[in-house]
Amino acid sequence: MILMTVGILTTAFSPIGDKLVSSETHIKFFSTTPAEDIEANNFKSVSTFNQATGELVFSVPMQSFEFEKSMMQKHFNSDKFLDTKSNPKATLKATLNNPEKLDFNKAGVYSALVTGNLTINGVTKAINENVTFEVKGNEIILNSKLNITLADYKIAFEKGKPSTNIAKTVEVTVIAKYQKS
Amino acid sequence: MKRKKIIKISLIVVLAILVVAGGTAFYLFNMPHRDVQQTKSDFSYTSKQIVDEYLEDPEAANQKYLDEEGESKILEVTGNVAEISKDFNGQTVVLLQSKGSPAGVSCTFPKDLEAATTFKVGQSITVKGVIRAGAGYNEDLEMYENVILDKCSIITSK
Repeated sequence: MILMTVGILTTAFSPIGDKLVSSETHIKFFSTTPAEDIEANNFKSVSTFNQATGELVFSVPMQSFEFEKSMMQKHFNSDKFLDTKSNPKATLKATLNNPEKLDFNKAGVYSALVTGNLTINGVTKAINENVTFEVKGNEIILNSKLNITLADYKIAFEKGKPSTNIAKTVEVTVIAKYQKS
Repeated sequence: MKRKKIIKISLIVVLAILVVAGGTAFYLFNMPHRDVQQTKSDFSYTSKQIVDEYLEDPEAANQKYLDEEGESKILEVTGNVAEISKDFNGQTVVLLQSKGSPAGVSCTFPKDLEAATTFKVGQSITVKGVIRAGAGYNEDLEMYENVILDKCSIITSK
């Protein structure tokens, strides 16, 4: 147990200069329609965050989204929807607009605006989103909510049950925990 | 009389079809997830073998291992425990990576499958799980990403 704890503390996060790396992440996809609510969770993304330049990157393995119902998971992965066999990873690459105004050495909650690109299903679109950073001891916790319009990424549900049961715009929650040293 | 009989039989047939169709739809909608541990493994490798295959030709490897509905290949991977951590969901994640290899295999153990398992850095283990993504250099992250194996359980350890 002690060995395991040491292992967690020493190896899970490896900062490279100002750049922090996190594999302690959570991406949640949530869709709500009068017919039903659909949720999927992904804990396998890798993120880097550069405190000095404000560069933020997420790499999301799409097949790691877990749904309650296996049929929904199959639909999500299929070539009619996210085509995860052809596009196994989604990428978010953005930069903070005001990194110099955030003091990551001082505890607190900071708001920031990030601008960049989101690539899903092989389609890249510009994004502009609000992000909060919570600095707590040695940790920086990033939190953001993105509203994604599926048609923008050529994720189209033209007919059948998915077209009525999946919202046109879904809410994606992004969380990452970075260890400062 | 004959006509009544025909109507009666037709009604029964229609009803039977409706029940079967409804039952099938209900079954499909509520079908449980594939039980990875109860399914036969498709391939057996060392962590270095699967990482090298992805580094050499990621396109071909994705074609070979990823399924278009997400029910991708089930692998047994043997390797050295290089790192033990927890993910955001509190699940144990074990990285199998051989010395000198730029990437490894990141195995996530669901909480119900890890109960009897303790891991030590440096030990050699064999893990069974479903592949979710391959290894490769990611230019945006400026680092190598690992092969991702989920729904893992331990097969042997020494």
